[in-house]
Amino acid sequence: MKPSAFRYERPADLPAALALLGSGGDTRILAGGQSLVPMMNYRLARPDCLIDINRLSELDYIREEDDVIAIGALARHAAVKSSDLIAAHLPIIAEAYDWIAHAAVRNRGTLCGNLCHADAASEMPAIMQILEAELVLSKTGAQRSVAATDFFVGTYETAIAADEILTELRIPKPAEKTGWGFEEVAMRRGDYAWCTVVATLQIRDGQIASPRIALAGVNACATRLGDAERALAGQSPEEGLFAEIAQDAANRAEPQESAASDAEYKRDLIRALLPRVLGDAVARAR
Amino acid sequence: MSDHLKSNVIPPSRQREAPRAGLTWIGQSMMRVEDPRILSGKGGYIDDITVPGMAHAAMVSSPHAHARIVSIDTSKASALPGVIGVYTGEDLASVVEPCPSFASPPITQHAMAMGKVRHVGEVVAAVVAEDRYVAEDAAELVEVEWEVLPACVDLEASAAATGDALLHPDDRESNVALDESFAFGEVDRHFAEAHHIVKRRLRWQRSSAQAIETSGVVAQFDPFKGGYTIHANSNFYNFIPFVIGGALRVSPGELRIVPVLTGGSFGSKVFSHKIIILTAGLARLAGVPVKYIEDRLEHFTNSDSHGSDRLYDTELAVAGDGTFTSLRFTVLDDYGAYLQFGVGTHGNAMAQVTGPYRIQSFGMRVRAVLTNKTQQGPYRGFGSEVTNWVMERMVDAAAEELGRDPVELRVQNMIQPDQFPYMIPTGNIYDSGNFQKVLSEAQTLFDLDGWRKKAHAMRAEGRCVGVGVATCMERSVYGPTEWWSLNNKETPGFTLTSTPEGITVRLDPSGKLFVTLNSPMVGNSPETVVAQILAERLTVAPEDIVFNYSDSQSGFNGVGPQGSRFTAMIAGACVSASIRLEEKLKRFGAHMLQRRPEDVELRNGTVAVKGLKDQEKAFGEIALTSSFFRLSFPDGEEFDSGIETTAVYDHPLSTDPAEDRSHLGIFYPIVGHICHIVAVEVDPGTGKVEILDYAAVHDNGTMVNPRTLAGQVWGGTANGIGTTLSEVFNYDETGQFTNANFAEFAMPTANEMPRNFKLGHVETPSPFTEYGIKGGGEGGRLGAPSALTSAIEDALSDRGVKIASLPVTPPILRGLIRSAEQAATR
Amino acid sequence: MTTVSFELTVNGRLRKATVPARMLLSDFIRQELALPGTHVGCEHGVCGSCNVVLDGKAVRSCLMFAVQAEGSEITTVEGLARGDDLHPIQQAFWEEHGLQCGFCTPGMLASAQELLAENPDPTDDEIREAISGNLCRCTGYEFIISAIRSAAVKLREADTETTLQPT
Repeated sequence: MKPSAFRYERPADLPAALALLGSGGDTRILAGGQSLVPMMNYRLARPDCLIDINRLSELDYIREEDDVIAIGALARHAAVKSSDLIAAHLPIIAEAYDWIAHAAVRNRGTLCGNLCHADAASEMPAIMQILEAELVLSKTGAQRSVAATDFFVGTYETAIAADEILTELRIPKPAEKTGWGFEEVAMRRGDYAWCTVVATLQIRDGQIASPRIALAGVNACATRLGDAERALAGQSPEEGLFAEIAQDAANRAEPQESAASDAEYKRDLIRALLPRVLGDAVARAR
Repeated sequence: MSDHLKSNVIPPSRQREAPRAGLTWIGQSMMRVEDPRILSGKGGYIDDITVPGMAHAAMVSSPHAHARIVSIDTSKASALPGVIGVYTGEDLASVVEPCPSFASPPITQHAMAMGKVRHVGEVVAAVVAEDRYVAEDAAELVEVEWEVLPACVDLEASAAATGDALLHPDDRESNVALDESFAFGEVDRHFAEAHHIVKRRLRWQRSSAQAIETSGVVAQFDPFKGGYTIHANSNFYNFIPFVIGGALRVSPGELRIVPVLTGGSFGSKVFSHKIIILTAGLARLAGVPVKYIEDRLEHFTNSDSHGSDRLYDTELAVAGDGTFTSLRFTVLDDYGAYLQFGVGTHGNAMAQVTGPYRIQSFGMRVRAVLTNKTQQGPYRGFGSEVTNWVMERMVDAAAEELGRDPVELRVQNMIQPDQFPYMIPTGNIYDSGNFQKVLSEAQTLFDLDGWRKKAHAMRAEGRCVGVGVATCMERSVYGPTEWWSLNNKETPGFTLTSTPEGITVRLDPSGKLFVTLNSPMVGNSPETVVAQILAERLTVAPEDIVFNYSDSQSGFNGVGPQGSRFTAMIAGACVSASIRLEEKLKRFGAHMLQRRPEDVELRNGTVAVKGLKDQEKAFGEIALTSSFFRLSFPDGEEFDSGIETTAVYDHPLSTDPAEDRSHLGIFYPIVGHICHIVAVEVDPGTGKVEILDYAAVHDNGTMVNPRTLAGQVWGGTANGIGTTLSEVFNYDETGQFTNANFAEFAMPTANEMPRNFKLGHVETPSPFTEYGIKGGGEGGRLGAPSALTSAIEDALSDRGVKIASLPVTPPILRGLIRSAEQAATR
Repeated sequence: MTTVSFELTVNGRLRKATVPARMLLSDFIRQELALPGTHVGCEHGVCGSCNVVLDGKAVRSCLMFAVQAEGSEITTVEGLARGDDLHPIQQAFWEEHGLQCGFCTPGMLASAQELLAENPDPTDDEIREAISGNLCRCTGYEFIISAIRSAAVKLREADTETTLQPT
């Protein structure tokens, strides 16, 4: 179980890295490597060229920019998990990290790399969608920003082009008193989950406002539940309503079958987890 | 005693050291002798071995479960720079014979496939290259043309398959490789007279040891220097030359197997003969030393790490008052593509198939089914973990059907403390025990009454909380008849009856005891055990004992750590060696003290005059004098230089099976007893199980080292938790093993283990082994699945969920709950 | 084949290397540096046997290429003992029976090192979490947890002694 041979490049700055990306062949960015290298060891991935961005220290940051928390491409999971800024403004991310991978993997892996990998069962793509994060994609001479909901296209598929690097993640600070909920079921803590449900919402005048809900591990990629959000907006938070919404979301889901868990199980998990997540979010919003 | 057992006479005890209080070293939780070198990274595992000129092998593995090999083109691979050679099954067959098999008649198995492949991962070609990276590059360039055949994946369907779906048409006309029936006692009469018959169909699915180190070999061949030198992480290195010499076309004496520290086995490395034959053959073909270490995928798909995979149709006959009278079952076992280890796992289960209960007769039909999966190998419990679970499931089922309390029903049927040695219907005996005491200590440790009330109250609130109790046997000190006693009487195969364990002890002129062991360290504590026993018997300090491992040419009898035998067996060898050394020491020491040997004794590492304080000679001084100053002693052989002995201990208590197999003889007689009690909560919406509390009480006779024994119990329990809750084999309908990796084959991490595990011990010494020691290497896994299953069923009792199959992963358990919910609303 | 040349510090010693770019850090440590204490159990980043401490953090050496460690400081299990004395964490593993076959142990020690450097008095649950990325098939983890708890005490005591020593 050894990787096949590749050309190794370690650019000194971002422009150099971007220039290398245009050079053709199967060229991959090597950030934390915690998903890419296992695939290379299994020879499921066999890039011709790896561009190691680990020395691009200008991309290693988590910072506050007015109403946005900006996270650079090289910010490791461990740094995000233990960041005071994240704890203060985006506690759902800190909470989720208790369920994501293990310490040694979080020490190397990067949040942006995880998003680019776009595993269907990964938690962060769902969280970025309800936080309405923007992903900054850079290429030589240009930059564009893509909303998280548009970034994830399918399993291991994103909107990123071959000559682009995800250089920054921009997460708007949620409004005051935004409640959040996070639940997942995995075989073991730290495993990819069979189903993750996340939500944020506010309570205004006793009614649910700006509900955002997303699922991971069920469909081909993490998805926002627009129907559930519309059904929830403006309603009084009640268990009966949550159960109804969960039932509806379960019915609408198009779960990916796998040997380890069938579609009916995934629907069951939506039914079980969504009401809990909404209940937690409401409690935190009050 | 039933008539069928009358010919099975229990031999007298050969115990020399009686169990007793006041021992100095035995019973101490001494820190392990093995640890400092391991902790400092200098253990020396198989992949740490390098020899000059060594090359590396990589395998080309079958992507198909069942296919004919039409052609193999190795030309591109051979042309790659750094490649020494590329070899197919036919090439390998020019230097090796088929693998040995415990099945009789054998199922032909080649270390590298010839003609066709029978499971995903089977090796079809191998590359030997200058490094592993290049070897893997070349392996990808080997082109194989396949003709895909129908794959047999389902156990029952495979048993009925014909035509191209037959795995071994040359050896068997069916995929059922063995089909044997047995009746031990008056099974039919007991069932005819039964007041109630409990029936269950029970499924125990494939599980796996998955030691963190894979299997590996470094092999060298030199025809001018005596054949093969092989480093291997086999548990059994002093025995396998006799098993595989024929396959390697050398005499056992031309096969030097050198042991290494082994990174876990749990049975999976007991033999390792296929990988040894494969690597040795490659070394011979390539003309250079070859290292082959399985990667994790290869260990999952082509090693010997898969455990039992069985379907039982079981019946328990019960009298009007709840007394169990007879047990019978038909069992199908999915052995995978080969039957290298025969049906030894079923032979093993015959040691304790009726559990701790007074069941008068037992009947069985066993059918070994071949399928297109990786072959089974041994895994902690070796088949008895399955029958423990089956027995305990049947008792729980009986309690439910009879409206009895499951614990009380167990107590009613348990063998009484005054009934030992107790012979079970298969002919094996239980040497000693006090099952009632183990149960009662476990109940107290766990607070069973308190927990049952608590669970009841929590269920009333709508929570799914339950408690499970398992009272199970832990047979130890295995005898080898298990490998062949269930084979057809006309073709029983290799009817081996020896499992000796040897030791060499030499008192060095400096006063250190140099010990040579003949079995490897695999995560057990062979050096610590021997240090404690020799220190006890010879009155020396454990730190004055130095350890060494023989290789198979310098070694003596050694069968290794398996079947929970090593501690009890090596204790016997230590006692034999100590008796002889004591005699020599006294002879030399008495002469130096100018006394008669009968007037001296061993005291704190000296030979000392009985009753006199200062009249003594330190062992070191005696050893120095006896080694270097021959003329200080009289003429005569008895004063030949040096103090050294080699001793061997044979199985303490075994008899032959009856010719007609009306019983199987005594073969696994030193039995421990275990009680596991667990409380769980099930999340009914997700099927997740949380362990709320756990207590285990084990009786392994006299404990040599309580802490290392506790380590075995905890580790075994972790294995049992994995087997029950999370470790699942996903074979799809084409025979692809889709989760052969550590990310998806979910072995418990520290997060999955119970938070408040409580462990207790009862010590009922064996009357047959030295000091009364029993084995204890498998117990956790022999009890945990039964207790957990029972607790989960109890937690879901209000919802009518029944558990008849393991594992119960969250998706599976949620599926059972969903079915019960749907049935209730119908 | 692309080869790369670089330097790094391993167990306090500067090492120079020229290796293929694709060589995994785990293979580099074991084979090129002849430090076989770092073990390879799965090569897909799950078992944690290959964990080493790189610039103060436990990392999977099977998920890094050796060249990526250029300029880094690595501690492997061979770098823990001081002369004839085991490191307090090793000593605690010995005393508490925190190992059986020992194959996972070097990785466990690396995880424990990082934990105790950052959190000198961890709870049992924090210990569990810190080693949950290290698979052990022998021990059931119970005695590993006791060992790390005991190591924490030893390290705190050693720290107090050092602090109290006159400078």
